[in-house]
Amino acid sequence: MKLQTVTLHETLNLETLSDNYLMNKVRDGDPDKLGLLYERYKRPLLGFFIGMLRDKELSEDLVQNTFARILKYRHLYRGDGDFRTWLFHIARNVKNDHFKKKRVDQVPVDIWTERIGHSEIRSEEIQQEEELGMLSIAMERLSEEKREVLLLSKYQEKKYQEIGLLLGCSESAVKVKVFRALQELKAVYQQLEKTY
Amino acid sequence: MEKEKVNELILKYNQGLATQNEILVIEKLVESNEIDLTQLASLHKLDEKITHQPDVVPSIEMDHRFYEMLGREKRKATSFTFSFPEWDVLLPRLALGCLLILVGFLSGVWIKQPTVGREVTQLTLQVAELKEMMMISLLEKESATERLKAVSLTQEITDPSKKVTAALLKTLNADPNVNVRLAALDALQGYVNRADVRIGLVRSIALQESPLVQLALAELMAVIQEKSSVSELKKVLDKKETPKEVKEKIKKSLDVLI
Repeated sequence: MKLQTVTLHETLNLETLSDNYLMNKVRDGDPDKLGLLYERYKRPLLGFFIGMLRDKELSEDLVQNTFARILKYRHLYRGDGDFRTWLFHIARNVKNDHFKKKRVDQVPVDIWTERIGHSEIRSEEIQQEEELGMLSIAMERLSEEKREVLLLSKYQEKKYQEIGLLLGCSESAVKVKVFRALQELKAVYQQLEKTY
Repeated sequence: MEKEKVNELILKYNQGLATQNEILVIEKLVESNEIDLTQLASLHKLDEKITHQPDVVPSIEMDHRFYEMLGREKRKATSFTFSFPEWDVLLPRLALGCLLILVGFLSGVWIKQPTVGREVTQLTLQVAELKEMMMISLLEKESATERLKAVSLTQEITDPSKKVTAALLKTLNADPNVNVRLAALDALQGYVNRADVRIGLVRSIALQESPLVQLALAELMAVIQEKSSVSELKKVLDKKETPKEVKEKIKKSLDVLI
């Protein structure tokens, strides 16, 4: 019976297979578990980087760098917060380091401009594609700060408090930042609609 | 500000008639939580468009590079990493270790006497049965954490009965929580040398809806070279709703199997 008590006590330490549980495992010497986290977050991370840099190949490199950094600094993971926030905190550092190294200026908006300008037959699908293209152009015309807050809002699933932790400001301040970014995006988008 | 006035402002904004000053007031109301961003129709519509903008599919090369990096890290980890566990983790383990040494020593002494030896075997069997019963009853619990504990209990059972593996397969197929299903699959990997488990795993493929479980099952089938899983994997591959990355993994597994 004593044996059983000890065994049960041990199993009580097992919580869930949540992000935090998996990352704790990675920290404690089981790097395999990072595979599951990679599968869960590779798409949002890639989407975030592409949204910021408009370059798929480079964005894939930065996803790789983010996970490499997670492995490197895994001993610093405390496991008491939201894993997604920690992940995006690292992703933002990776992105900022990249910007420091190389200033990304003009981006290939021409591809979309060309496609939008020359479409004659507008099926619903093409129209939808055009709308998304226009949204991409409009996003590109925002400042880096405004674009980032909108992308974080998407990939942090509108958890403004968590975004506040990332940006170092309050939840209300994040809401205002999102409001301003959307306001500007609306203005740029409407301008584009008139042009095309 | 009065609710009516706030509503009037929202209405004006949504009609595109708000002045610059009114927009500044709206901003203040957003800050003070009196207006939710979703109430501002045009902004909400744009925000929704951003949210539903389709994500770019990562290339296979990206996966490849990641898993290569992970492989290197694993080799490094197994070669020299050592971290001293914390006392709250170490103490129960030490206690268990000491207890096991004691039990082993006493068993050694008793086994010399045939009647005591039989009693010890009987006792071990009873303990194993008790663990199995506990595991099966924990699997019925409402809390996902409890069910995860149940799954982890199977690791304590050296030679689980068919009842246990059947319960794990049932969990893999029907548990509402994806983490529990993944844990069950993890536990079942230890018993893939049993025919009933292999058959159960193959049958489970078509029942899974979570991409994570589908991925894990597809990988497992390739590792254990279970050729009978080909038709089930193809069924998942043909499903419209199966995510692209799962389809890619299944194709890779099928390449290994066929």
